[in-house]
Amino acid sequence: MKKIIGMCLLSLACGTAQAASPFEQELFKTLKQSVQEKVQGTPSGATEEELAIGQQIAGNLLGAAPLVKDDRLQKYVNLVGRWVASQSERPDLVWHFGVIESNDVNAFAAPGGYIFLTRGLYKLLRDEAELAGVLGHEIGHVIRQHHLKILQQSKLLDLGSKAVARSVSNNDKVQGLIGSGAEVVARGLDKDAEFEADRIGVVLSARAGYDAFGLPGVLQQIGHYAKDDGDVALLFKTHPHPDDRLGKLDVSMSDRFDSVKGLTLSKRFYKLK
Amino acid sequence: MKFKLGFIFATCLLASAAMAGESGTALKADEIKVEPFRDAKTVAKLATGDKVDILKKDGGWLQVKAGKQQGWVRMLSIRQGAAGKTSGGASGLAALASGRAGTGKVVATTGIRGLNEEELKSAHFDAAQIKRLDSYTATAAAAGSFAKQGKLQARRVDYLPAVK
Repeated sequence: MKKIIGMCLLSLACGTAQAASPFEQELFKTLKQSVQEKVQGTPSGATEEELAIGQQIAGNLLGAAPLVKDDRLQKYVNLVGRWVASQSERPDLVWHFGVIESNDVNAFAAPGGYIFLTRGLYKLLRDEAELAGVLGHEIGHVIRQHHLKILQQSKLLDLGSKAVARSVSNNDKVQGLIGSGAEVVARGLDKDAEFEADRIGVVLSARAGYDAFGLPGVLQQIGHYAKDDGDVALLFKTHPHPDDRLGKLDVSMSDRFDSVKGLTLSKRFYKLK
Repeated sequence: MKFKLGFIFATCLLASAAMAGESGTALKADEIKVEPFRDAKTVAKLATGDKVDILKKDGGWLQVKAGKQQGWVRMLSIRQGAAGKTSGGASGLAALASGRAGTGKVVATTGIRGLNEEELKSAHFDAAQIKRLDSYTATAAAAGSFAKQGKLQARRVDYLPAVK
């Protein structure tokens, strides 16, 4: 036991070794988190305001587009998503994933671990690796707190402030922080946040054992929608063009994944009628 | 060693998927290789805008046919599909089906429709849906066994650098 902890600490120190058994991996993660918390002061669990804001946005979005009534689909997406999220630096969030009733091609993230993709986007997917890539992109927004930073920039939100944490216990006040309805998901992030989420999506799905080229495969498909197609209007408005995103991924990924083989699990992929 | 090679071969098989019938366009100049490896022999060269037929996918590589030449090209150099998937988009049938014909306002309710800014802005919190969403949540342990069933193995991969 002492030896295992010693090994984990060693791998923590040099940052290259990989723990072998699931137990060692868990231990490694726990140790890493507690060190991170001490060094950076960033807890891995969600803060009160993050959860309150996330749930409000999620509930509003579901008010506009409810969950697809298919229990098997929703459970499947939660298993894939949770496995990918477990590879991130915030494995302890209570992650929620849902497929929502809309023909639009889009996906959304809200603070605290809420992630949605539309029926329209799901139907474009060809295998589990592509689903993992899309969910990984949205997980990237959550772990880097992209939406919270936007709210912070607009001076509506002072993260970490005790006063805000107290004030967000009231639903109306949370709504006040995020504007009207679920418009915050239609507002869009800056381009760099999207490119960053793409890189995270690729890495998290590769860490999870999937083919790293799932997300690029989806971007290639979205890339051949005409710009004026209504189904991608909101996506194209709030994201850089898929060709630009592929170009950036091409440079970032370079030949790093040439020898990293992963699974696509196309047979297990849950097909939506 | 034999076992390892066998394993790698098996995962290669699993990672490849037939994509017969799809066409693609070169996003940039690249080389078609005899095998899906960077240092494999070059069979032909592609220029930006060249059309190819995609035969299958293997990880980051696509097996393509360009004229009489056949070989492998890096997936990220190719955009799948030769042209716009649909033309006219929101002004045609698609708009009617999504209830968004005309001014961008919702004019029809067909049950399933697109999401636009106005709809998102006027959305109201749905507590029952949040409850339903909660009921689907998977624990880390459940996701772990699900991964195991699919023979997915967690591995260390560093985050990628940003590029300008």
